[in-house]
Amino acid sequence: MGYVAAKGGLEAILAAEDLVRRSRLSGSSPLLGIDQLQERARLAVDRVMGEAGLWAPELAARAFRQAEGDVVEAAHLLRAFRTNLPRFAMTSVVAADEMVPLRRIVPAYRTPPGPQLLGRTSDYTGRLLDLSPEAPSSELEDEGRSSNATGAAATNGTGSTASGNPGGGEGGLTTHRRLYELLRDLDLVVDRRRDIAAGDDPEPYDITRLPVRPGVPRSARLAVMARAETGALVNLWYRNILGTDMHLHEVTLGEVRHGLLPLPVIHPHTGRPVVVGRIRATEAEAIEDLSGEGRDRSRFDVGYGVCVGHNERKAIAMANLDIAVELDAGKGSLEQTVLMTTDALDSSGFLEHLKLPHYVTFRSMVERKLAVREAAAQKVGDDHEAAPMDRAPDAVLAGEPA
Amino acid sequence: MRETETWALSVQGLTKSYGGRLAVDDVSFNVAPGEALGIVGESGSGKTSVLRCLAGDLDEDSGRAYMSGLDGGQTNIFSLTPAERRALRVSRLAMVYQDPALGLDLGISAGGNVAERLTAAGWRSFGAIRQRAAHLLERTEVPRERMDDLVSTFSGGMRQRVQLAKALATNPPVLLLDEPTTGLDASVAAGVLDLIRDLLAEFRLAAVVVSHDFSVIELLTRRVMVMHNGRVVETGLTDQLLADPQDAYSQRLVAAARS
Amino acid sequence: MSLNALLEDTGSADNGYGSGIMDEHTKRDIRRALLSAVAVPGYQVPFGSREMPVARGWGSGGLQITLAIVGDADVVKVIDQGDDAGVNATNLRRLIVGSTGAAETTVTAEASIIQTRHRIPEEPLKSDQILVLQVPVPEPLRGVERDMRELRRMHAEDDYARLWVSLYEDKVRNGVITRTTGYPCMIGGRYVMATTPIPRWDCPKLHQAHHLSLFGAGREKRIYAVPPYTDVEPVTFDDVPFEVERSPGRCDRCGAVGWTESFLIEVPNSRTWVCSDTDYCARRRLKDRRVKA
Repeated sequence: MGYVAAKGGLEAILAAEDLVRRSRLSGSSPLLGIDQLQERARLAVDRVMGEAGLWAPELAARAFRQAEGDVVEAAHLLRAFRTNLPRFAMTSVVAADEMVPLRRIVPAYRTPPGPQLLGRTSDYTGRLLDLSPEAPSSELEDEGRSSNATGAAATNGTGSTASGNPGGGEGGLTTHRRLYELLRDLDLVVDRRRDIAAGDDPEPYDITRLPVRPGVPRSARLAVMARAETGALVNLWYRNILGTDMHLHEVTLGEVRHGLLPLPVIHPHTGRPVVVGRIRATEAEAIEDLSGEGRDRSRFDVGYGVCVGHNERKAIAMANLDIAVELDAGKGSLEQTVLMTTDALDSSGFLEHLKLPHYVTFRSMVERKLAVREAAAQKVGDDHEAAPMDRAPDAVLAGEPA
Repeated sequence: MRETETWALSVQGLTKSYGGRLAVDDVSFNVAPGEALGIVGESGSGKTSVLRCLAGDLDEDSGRAYMSGLDGGQTNIFSLTPAERRALRVSRLAMVYQDPALGLDLGISAGGNVAERLTAAGWRSFGAIRQRAAHLLERTEVPRERMDDLVSTFSGGMRQRVQLAKALATNPPVLLLDEPTTGLDASVAAGVLDLIRDLLAEFRLAAVVVSHDFSVIELLTRRVMVMHNGRVVETGLTDQLLADPQDAYSQRLVAAARS
Repeated sequence: MSLNALLEDTGSADNGYGSGIMDEHTKRDIRRALLSAVAVPGYQVPFGSREMPVARGWGSGGLQITLAIVGDADVVKVIDQGDDAGVNATNLRRLIVGSTGAAETTVTAEASIIQTRHRIPEEPLKSDQILVLQVPVPEPLRGVERDMRELRRMHAEDDYARLWVSLYEDKVRNGVITRTTGYPCMIGGRYVMATTPIPRWDCPKLHQAHHLSLFGAGREKRIYAVPPYTDVEPVTFDDVPFEVERSPGRCDRCGAVGWTESFLIEVPNSRTWVCSDTDYCARRRLKDRRVKA
């Protein structure tokens, strides 16, 4: 239709795309398989799913590979893909107690209710770069099989776990009471339970469909943090511990768990819940010592964090920030900071947009720089000639808008 | 019922509590145009809370307040919407705070602080705003050449003068002064007090002056109320009350101040 | 496309990417927000901004609006900095055209929807055209206030004193108002609005315009609008005239005068200027050639 096709830009874009695609596909090593990424880069794939807010290990691995290992970019690919997917059904509410733990630690007690289950973690492994020579992969695979590597079978949560034994000998499918309930029994925590029988059970705030701003319910805040950028939450947490923001004080972790959550859906014919699959999730509870004016020093308050996949840093930071925002009660800026500045797509997108052409705006800025100089030159001229400022006329002194 | 001829500000039954503790308990008073009413009392007596409720910085629990300039004194200012309260603060009711940071934006110039009040009142001429600000700052004895300096570079006494210039920008009939010279050096305070006294007379302001300092109250006010635990325990002419307090608490307060 | 079209459903072709870049439910959501925005000119309507296949900050808001209103009969023009061939414009155009049944053009007069970043075409738009602006920062008061609750209060109560003070301070300190692009404008005498980062040169084109202007901020999840024939007044003092950028030269290609006719950009170190609106420039040259021929 147009008399001149906008060619220059298009050619450059196509060339850039081609470069990326060819570089991704070329190289001397074999192309990474989706299954390899899911198995060998489990935490990266989990992070992509967490920040995308979507449990889809295969797609996340695909996105991660397409993004050449850029987690934020991969999360963007996954989220943009998910945006318009039809919603077939909503799961019914799952109590966190229904999580089958693959790993569970409770720093607050030596012998908490339920197990201390170290599970798959490198927390207590020396951080020594493994420089042993590359063995043929078949030998490594043998080793993996013979040692019944803990938790390895659980990398694909929707697969083997639903059928039976998720984590080798790690505690099996048992669930157990959480520390929070013990603290409740001891009357050591502020009771935040809702009276569901009385109808106090609002629908969670859907941040994928509704905009978020300060004053939204806690469910919106939790949803924002659940898919926030891990680094952003960790940094915000640390700022509040060491920096001048001062929203966090003495925090003890009640519960850190990584495990399997069932996805129950109401069957359209029977009307009864049917578990259609399981996802792995990480959750944490942060016990905050209430300090400050008007706080109940005889009790603790507990913040909650949960995210898709295995990402303990994120869940812990989230639980801490959750209770910090709750206690700040909108007085400071923490709520706005948590809600508005922690999303990776927002922050990275805006930062990267600086790379777009800005020559019109820059021309406008240059024009003003010159205008300031001209005004300054003018003023110097005026000061040489003009008399001191005239006395204010009566109308001005009377205090009426002129 | 309310004789608007005799008062510019009328407060009835003002009550305010914090977390169960009564900070202001059923306080009532009138202030006439051109009159300054003092409120004295020790810290925590509730005197500053009275001003903050009137200014709208705090929400009152109960009570009414009227200004003769607002609907002929028929409208309780506590019943106004937040936007109307803000408009009232712009045009009819100004407050000078002990802490200049509460009354001023320290990050902008002295002239800009006066300009804020003027633009809020609808002034849209840069030249007129500038002249009005220059005039007010001159009247409050801020050197002309400092008009465009950031208030954060000003001394304490100078900041109070800028607060006064801003407060008077729209010729409000009522001025609230909360410890306006507390924290200033004695000589600086004396200068600011002289200025306030002159301004009260010149602008025929109905003023409420809160201070724990009797010399401030003596210099600025003709009438005074003594507050204790949120209640008004005694009211009288300033010179008489301070010379011969009747209430037992007033007597202790005066004795302590005089010792 | 007319304002009425906002009320109607507009089917779109499926490009094979799931159900398209945007499903019909989402389009309706966005059109509802657009109607609110048109009903309250200059007011920032929060909307459920979706993830787009372009990064937030790269026109995701404008893209969502365009996709929500575009139909098979539409002709779409996309510009960035006034240029149809810019990389961002090109990318967005191929997404829009590739995922809908709309046709594309670079000719301003032929377009029914013009999506733009940072410019308004020089050629006045007509009443059957819609301008969709990509907005990075929708809040005009962010320079004087950051707290979102306070910002809501300021807009709700028409309390713009601090914006005025910032202009006062600017003028006092610098002798001129140094605000560059995205100049704050009073819309319909009620709401102060950020004019995206269009240059001040473009602000008068919004005033009492024949066309509808829709503003989309995807990252900040706000939509706002200037309906046709609405007052758009740059916020400035009565005695301090609003100044647009005027370039001291002529376009090297078409001869357009930078002082009165066209927003020109400078070729660095050459004292050479060219139009930022490439279609306007090309059209002038074409006309010249016809006259000479």
